[in-house]
Amino acid sequence: MENKLISISKAANLLGVSIDTLRRWDKAGQLGSIRGGLRGHRFYNLSDIEQFTKDELNLARKWAESSQGVEPESDIYCQTRDIFQARLEVLQKKLERELPLVISSLITAITGEIGNNSFDHNLGNWPDITGIYFSYSLKNKIIILADRGQGILTTLKRVKPDLVDAKEALKMAFTENISGRSSEARGNGLKFVREIIINNPFKIYFQTSDAYLSLTQNNKEVIVKQASSFIRGCFAKIDY
Amino acid sequence: MTIQIKKFGNVLVSRPAGKEAWLAYQPVLNEYPGDEKIIIDFADVAVLTPSWADEFLTPLYKRYPGIVKLQNTKNPSVKASLSILKLI
Repeated sequence: MENKLISISKAANLLGVSIDTLRRWDKAGQLGSIRGGLRGHRFYNLSDIEQFTKDELNLARKWAESSQGVEPESDIYCQTRDIFQARLEVLQKKLERELPLVISSLITAITGEIGNNSFDHNLGNWPDITGIYFSYSLKNKIIILADRGQGILTTLKRVKPDLVDAKEALKMAFTENISGRSSEARGNGLKFVREIIINNPFKIYFQTSDAYLSLTQNNKEVIVKQASSFIRGCFAKIDY
Repeated sequence: MTIQIKKFGNVLVSRPAGKEAWLAYQPVLNEYPGDEKIIIDFADVAVLTPSWADEFLTPLYKRYPGIVKLQNTKNPSVKASLSILKLI
């Protein structure tokens, strides 16, 4: 475990939240700081930030799995597409500073496709919470996206009524040009995500309903498995 | 005629944004006689997705078959998006 101390601005940057949020989390005992220096500035153990990110992943899962919908904290909640776009542009700028363009542009592109997919397919039909959960950690190189929407099976059943389960629907979404928005020629989004993942050193875990898949570099096979938990909408974790 | 895509933004990801770009550009296209190549220049675009590109480029290719040319497509997300739309 690393015990390096980092400033509050560095910690905020790594977690993708504001300094005010970190102060609030500190006061609430969610993520404690270490006071140092003459003015008592907040510092953080890098290992605590790392641990918090793991907890953050659990928080996101719990948010997506919960039977009761609640609005997430404002820093990780994109109620509308405009908010998502603004936060995605911030992410792109941060990635550009740390990674070569070949990586940053593709990571932002697949994040944008997955996030916008949630809006495209649930606009006007959100079952409870409108919008998406979007968090990331630059330190651990992960991005989390989740929605409490209708899920891929419900969406695709509108154009493929004979689809039997979420496993089949999830596989179709990642391998075929198909879209739940019938009469529109679209449906490249998740296929694009797959293409990018298998050609680059990235990984993705994607779950909808009780079906999930994991894609990795150089692995063209799409194997959908039974998940032990249920998510009505979609949950994605990207590692880069 | 050259269309500089960066003038629509440099993180171009959503369908509504692509559609809005296409609609906003109609007055310019309506004045264009279609007598020479249309060059689509992707210089300084940081991120492009197939969703945005599909809303802007697909109708452009349909309206001007054979005269649309692509330029500065080296950005990996630009290249990957154009490739999945079968435009390169």
